[in-house]
Amino acid sequence: MLEARGLTFGYERDRPIIVGWEARFEAGEVVAITGPSGRGKSTLLYLLGLMLKPFSGELRLADVEVGTMRDADRARLRASQFGFVFQDAALDPTRTVLDNVTETSLYRDADLRADQIRAQELMEQFGVDLRARAKPGQVSGGQAQRIALCRALLNRPRVLLADEPTGNLDPASADVVVGAFHDHAATGAAVVVVTHDPALVARCHRRIEL
Amino acid sequence: MRRVRALLRESIATARSSRVASIVTIVMIAGMCAAVLLTTGRTVGAEQAVISTLDSAGTRSIVIRAEADAGLQADVLNRIANLEGIAWAGAFGPAVDATNALNLDGMRVPVRLAYGADLDDLGIRTGVGVPGEAVWGSPPALDQLGLSDDVGSLVTTSGLDYAVVGSLATPDYLRFLEPLAIAPQAEQPDAPLSVLVVIAARPDLVAPVSQALLSVLAVDDPTGITLSTSESIATLRALIEGQLGSFGRELVLAIFALTGVLVAAILSGLTALRRKDFGRRRALGASRGLIVALLLTQMALLSITGAALGTGGALIALTLIGDPLPGLPFVAAVAVLATAVGLVAALAPALAAATRDPIRELRVP
Repeated sequence: MLEARGLTFGYERDRPIIVGWEARFEAGEVVAITGPSGRGKSTLLYLLGLMLKPFSGELRLADVEVGTMRDADRARLRASQFGFVFQDAALDPTRTVLDNVTETSLYRDADLRADQIRAQELMEQFGVDLRARAKPGQVSGGQAQRIALCRALLNRPRVLLADEPTGNLDPASADVVVGAFHDHAATGAAVVVVTHDPALVARCHRRIEL
Repeated sequence: MRRVRALLRESIATARSSRVASIVTIVMIAGMCAAVLLTTGRTVGAEQAVISTLDSAGTRSIVIRAEADAGLQADVLNRIANLEGIAWAGAFGPAVDATNALNLDGMRVPVRLAYGADLDDLGIRTGVGVPGEAVWGSPPALDQLGLSDDVGSLVTTSGLDYAVVGSLATPDYLRFLEPLAIAPQAEQPDAPLSVLVVIAARPDLVAPVSQALLSVLAVDDPTGITLSTSESIATLRALIEGQLGSFGRELVLAIFALTGVLVAAILSGLTALRRKDFGRRRALGASRGLIVALLLTQMALLSITGAALGTGGALIALTLIGDPLPGLPFVAAVAVLATAVGLVAALAPALAAATRDPIRELRVP
């Protein structure tokens, strides 16, 4: 599904953080990436999510090289093929919960009405449907992360990437999130999670130590 | 089309969510339009009023008078028709005094035979009365003849009868012929003329058209010809137009430049405050082009709103204080330019927002 071959990247040319990294993520599996702070776990996740361009190496999605595509093409792929869950949910505090969940509709040039119907279904599934008209500031941390999960799943992504998704959650909310990862992987997607949470690692199919 | 609608919807939502910045931007654009219209707009309005007054004095008119033995004939109109830069031309024969046929001792009014294809512009309807014997009179002429109903009969001192069939509104450039009573004639090349009136298409064409006219008169005795123009008034007109126009342009540019800088500063601040928002959008799949399009569309909506409010308010203010209005083209140009200034001012902040590293922005606490 998603394969990294010899990926090298750093925020400064002469000081790469990730050097020659290789990994393969198959459809249907949930993989945890772990390691001490500062090793570049989040950076690696953003590389896999096409937000950063590697200095060298290849990143292949379904056997197509995507790492070196031009910015507009990578943006289009991010919107249509990837889903992201950030550590702090990263919701727009000025917009409603429903607007946040359907945010990528514009980037994918999708039918907003259809996306809103799917968003309602996802919000029902994750128990945040009653807060659809609320602003993110009016919901709890656990609800915010579930809303972010709804946003990530809206486009039925082939690759779901999550950065410390349970870091700020109580065990019950974390359990909902991890369950969602497995359910989504079962649909034929690859799920990659950067985490320090041993409970989450334990529930992943595989672990890669950085 | 769906993408355009989505872009508009998102831009409106974003503008509404940044309410304070949006209101400040609208107020600034509105203020810019109002400032331009209340300063330069008033100047333009006054300029147009002054120029209109000058024009009413006949800045474009050329009058050629011919003595009886000068030999100026109606066929000159055919030659004039071939000249460029002429808006109107009409020729008049020698005046013959006439009185109301029902009151032969009443006041006399000079009747002139009139020639030219442009006479219709005076409000004369063709096909009324017997051709060549129908007379149209100005209100002063009809009043002197005692024909309050605009109809009646005239008898000239030479014994010819004419039927008065209507009134005409004397244009400014024929006022010197008042009281005006004319009998339009069919084309008659050898008919003698005493007055030829030509209106140049523009004030600056008065001098060259005058020269051209003198060369096509084809008269027997040039010394019997007198040409009078409004060239000095036309020069004054050009001077007024140039000086006021130059002053207005400089002021408009200064106001636009100042507002453009202020709008750019506000938008730069706004995009800096929203860098996490742009970082999230980029991470979730918004392309750089879409970020730029979002910001420019948002700015266009705010600018159009501001321009509409500013021009509307300024026009109401000008109307209330009784100042001359600058005219629709000027108002429209100010509104369009104000919108353009808003867009240009937004371009640099939009590009800056679009080219920022999404990861760096997402990590902003």
